[in-house]
Amino acid sequence: MGDLLDWIISFLFLVTLLIIVIYQLTCLADLEFDRKNPFDSSARINRLILPEFGLQGLLCLYYVLTGHWFMAVFSLPHLFYNIRLYVKREHLADVTEIYNTNKWEQKKRVYKIAHIALSIFITSFWLIHSALGDI
Amino acid sequence: MGTENNKGYPKFPARPAPSSSPYASAPPPGIPPPSGGPPTGSDAVGFRPFPPSASQPIRPFTPSGPPPAPQVGAMRPAQPSPFVSQIPGSRPPPPSSNSFPSTAYGPPPPPPPPPGAAPFQRFPSPPFPTTQNPPPQGPPQTLAGHFSPPMSLRPQQQPMAPVTMGPPPQSTTSGLPGANASPSPADFNMAARPGFQQSMPPVTPSYPGVGGSQPSFPGYPSKQVSQPPPMPFQSSQGPPGPPPVSSYPPHTGGFAQRPNIVAQQNLHPSYAPPTSNVQGLVEDFNSLSLASIPGSMEPGLDHRSFPRPLDGDVEPNSFAEMYPMNCHSRYLRLTTSAIPNSQSLASRWHLPLGAVVCPLAETPEGEEVPLIDFGSTGIIRCRRCRTYVNPYVTFTDSGRKWRCNICSMLNDVPGEYFSHLDANGRRMDMDQRPELTKGSVEIIAPTEYMVRPPMPPIYFFLIDVSISATKSGMLEVVAQTIKSCLDNLPGYPRTQIGFITYDSTLHFYNMKSSLSQPQMMVVTDLDDIFLPLPDDLLVNLSESRTVVEAFLDSLPMMFQDNVNVESAFGPALRAAFMVMNQLGGKLLIFQNSLPSLGAGRLKLRGDDPRVYGTDKEYALRVAEDPFYKQMAADCTKFQIGINVYAFSDKYTDIASLGTLAKYTGGQVYYYPGFQSSVHGDKLRHELARDLTRETAWEAVMRIRCGKGIRFTSYHGNFMLRSTDLLALPAVDCDKAYAMQLSLEETLLTTQTVYFQVALLYTASCGERRIRVHTSVAPVVADLGEMYRQADTGSIVSLYARLAIEKSMSAKLDDARNAIQQKIVKALKEYRNLHAVQHRLGSRLIYPETLKFLPLYGLAIIKSTPLQGGPADASLDERCAAGFTMMALPVKKLLKLLYPNLIRVDEWLLKPSADHDDLRDVSNRLPLAAESLDSRGLYIYDDGFRLVLWFGRMLSPDIAKNLLGNDFAAELSRVTFQEQGNGMSKKLMSLVKKLRENDPSYHPMCFLVRQGEQPREGFLLLRHLIEDQMGGSSGYVDWILQLQRQIQQN
Repeated sequence: MGDLLDWIISFLFLVTLLIIVIYQLTCLADLEFDRKNPFDSSARINRLILPEFGLQGLLCLYYVLTGHWFMAVFSLPHLFYNIRLYVKREHLADVTEIYNTNKWEQKKRVYKIAHIALSIFITSFWLIHSALGDI
Repeated sequence: MGTENNKGYPKFPARPAPSSSPYASAPPPGIPPPSGGPPTGSDAVGFRPFPPSASQPIRPFTPSGPPPAPQVGAMRPAQPSPFVSQIPGSRPPPPSSNSFPSTAYGPPPPPPPPPGAAPFQRFPSPPFPTTQNPPPQGPPQTLAGHFSPPMSLRPQQQPMAPVTMGPPPQSTTSGLPGANASPSPADFNMAARPGFQQSMPPVTPSYPGVGGSQPSFPGYPSKQVSQPPPMPFQSSQGPPGPPPVSSYPPHTGGFAQRPNIVAQQNLHPSYAPPTSNVQGLVEDFNSLSLASIPGSMEPGLDHRSFPRPLDGDVEPNSFAEMYPMNCHSRYLRLTTSAIPNSQSLASRWHLPLGAVVCPLAETPEGEEVPLIDFGSTGIIRCRRCRTYVNPYVTFTDSGRKWRCNICSMLNDVPGEYFSHLDANGRRMDMDQRPELTKGSVEIIAPTEYMVRPPMPPIYFFLIDVSISATKSGMLEVVAQTIKSCLDNLPGYPRTQIGFITYDSTLHFYNMKSSLSQPQMMVVTDLDDIFLPLPDDLLVNLSESRTVVEAFLDSLPMMFQDNVNVESAFGPALRAAFMVMNQLGGKLLIFQNSLPSLGAGRLKLRGDDPRVYGTDKEYALRVAEDPFYKQMAADCTKFQIGINVYAFSDKYTDIASLGTLAKYTGGQVYYYPGFQSSVHGDKLRHELARDLTRETAWEAVMRIRCGKGIRFTSYHGNFMLRSTDLLALPAVDCDKAYAMQLSLEETLLTTQTVYFQVALLYTASCGERRIRVHTSVAPVVADLGEMYRQADTGSIVSLYARLAIEKSMSAKLDDARNAIQQKIVKALKEYRNLHAVQHRLGSRLIYPETLKFLPLYGLAIIKSTPLQGGPADASLDERCAAGFTMMALPVKKLLKLLYPNLIRVDEWLLKPSADHDDLRDVSNRLPLAAESLDSRGLYIYDDGFRLVLWFGRMLSPDIAKNLLGNDFAAELSRVTFQEQGNGMSKKLMSLVKKLRENDPSYHPMCFLVRQGEQPREGFLLLRHLIEDQMGGSSGYVDWILQLQRQIQQN
């Protein structure tokens, strides 16, 4: 039962993370198509960056604490990348250069989404597995 | 256009073939073979090598070649006319056209024979070709070179026939089997290098036996040997067609029969100007021919014959003549005036594809941009793409509709704007409508173009009053200058002004007009800034004039005894932002030390030499604290433009401070180690210029272009507000912006592409205006044509900006290498274009239009922002120069990259006391130590500094006259002032004149004597970019390096 709860919680974590990153991506896309100005867009994105990083870190910690080593290792690269960005102070969208970096920022988020989606897939597998196993 | 073209043709014939004048001399086709002949012969010789090679691979030429041969034969008759080359392609026409290449082109269009047709395809629109060719002016060379030159020359060059064929192919090339390759011949302006010439001679001989000609090379050597000497000379001498002639006459005769191919090439080199098409710079390495020729000159390289932009920037005006309705090149310059028609073609053009725009460039007297008021009609714009009405729109349906030239949309003509059309489809009222005849107009914008009432001009001053500011005298100079400019601030009587001073606290000044003295309020809480007064910190100048003057008078005194060394820069900036964000305006910051308190305080990152060469190196050149970027973005959002004046002799982190200027469309002025006695004048002039020049407020700029292409990146000091909208809170005539365009996947099917720059701004008088510049460029399918229409000035401008941007994210080394690689790629592509037809050997070839590109590339690499390592320039200097170069218009940038060096002692000694004969001293010298004669006096002028260099053996009389009794002293301690004698006055008038040439900056005068180290090296020697300095290469090495890389595959 505990296992099932673990998976459900991590599943919720992942879905939140996914929503945040997708939202950032849409902000960037809006920018590209001139539907928003760079000031608002970058403000919206930057507001969500630290929560996103925090959430991702928590998720990793949660995996470790609950002993899901595989998932912990699986999400390490993501964590490592986030930490690296943060340390280099490149985690925030740069409003002055946002048009020049837009392509790369979008790409970055697409990869993140792919990674999170994969995690969700694996998590939901285990979720269902443990749910069925309990029965 | 057609008409224009026609005109162009006539010109060709007319062209003077002043063979003597290198450039001018684009040997007129018409000119008798003899004159041209000789030179050509020599040139031809150089080319010959090509012909052989070319002939082999290339059928086109194959004069001897089976298929082409017939053509050739046909051509030959025509040959008399240089056009021969063209002829091959367009056989029939050529004869008729024999007059010129241009003509040749003309014919093609009509019935272009299949073979010829191809070439024409390129010019599908006959007009273009013609136009292009004609491109009169300076271009004549190039154009001529491409077209006519061949013709004219060819005859002379007869031997070259095969070669000539080559050139023609170029034009015709497309049609020819090896379409691409063929075109090149013309393009090559073979270098006039001796090497070529040498080779040339042999060619001639070979020609006789056409078939064997190719093989003839071997033969060449022998002949070359004999001929070489003359050739080299010619080449080196360039223009000296005559001498070569004598030697070559025979050849020419022989050649005459042949197409002129060889001749063209060779001639061109020597005559480079005329042939423009083919200027090839030939660099000889190990090649035999080199060895033989150089026999006289050891390395085989005559660096004196390297191209140098001693005439300054030459604007590409061929298109100005072809499209007289285009805006002037001072406003918009494309990197090439021939737009590629497909992505694949664009990808082979390794140079940047884009434009440099200077929307408010200063206009000479009498050429002011016309101001138009559409009144109740409203501004006429395309419904779909929002293009403004311009000279290229067409009216149809009896004048009731107009077709947008950019998107082809059919729009209705508003009733008030309606006018009948005449028989030619032109509006009857054309003459009264400048917007339909001029490429640059200014339109008064109605209220739909305002989101708020037009703002008044606002000047806000943020002045550091810490101890260094008072000690250096900066405060006094600034206060005096501002006071003296109060009468000239634009926008009277709406102008507003305000001040904040700061050290470790912030001082606000209440300047309410009812006061007699300003009230000072001190705020010490730096963490939570608040304004002590809601209003009256920013006041109307005309109302509070006396208070403002009283403040400026007392400012230096107030802080005379200030011993505060701190600088609460960040909080002060925030306070200024709070005062200004209602209206926007211009914020001038005078900063004397590193910001040390409150938000935005900076660390002493300094110039740590150990960081250089590591991956962290670039971090020194970007803002350290995100505070600066954020503030810059906020300021732009609220229409605040920031100019930064920095004065410290210590590290002040210009990289961070400059960020404020960069993203708000401002400028950085840097006076390292400011001392009012030394730099006072400079600061006075530059500050005065900043305050009084006409400024456009709360501006946005957009550039539109036709379908199929779009602008993708922008470079300069501004912030993007949307993907293609540049936000420019305050913009003036000294700012230029560069942009690059890319092609979409579809093929461009139109014959021309239009560009329209629109700058929407508030004039100082309170009127909202739109300045519109419209330009057109033809679409081409031929790479060679793109090279022919390239504009070195704007290419260099774009390269410099790209390199500086790159240095913000990579090592200096990488930025320099990137530039080098780009140049290599471009020249390599160009070489490949021609390699099929010509045996290029070890020559470096490049198109006439890009002859200065390698040198400017070298100059970029050696410019202050990019040069050397930590020891070559302080970090602050680097960054300041980088910010400055990002904003410079093309001409000023080119002058900074390749400064003027002129010798003045002889001029000073000349008795003619006439101070106006400045032309005599306009003789620019190559920037190399060998230009400096120790008996001379030289002026080095890069637009930012004037260096007077006194030779060691300069006559003491001159020195004494100019320097007074100090003449023997250490020059660093001598102040340069008028001495009350004729010679000194003369020099001062020259200096004044040089300064007036470009008022945007005030060059300081430095005196240095030969051998006075390290000042000499620092002030002058290091800037002699053709010399080898430290780890960087000299011009010769640089060319060799390029050549080596070009030849590597």
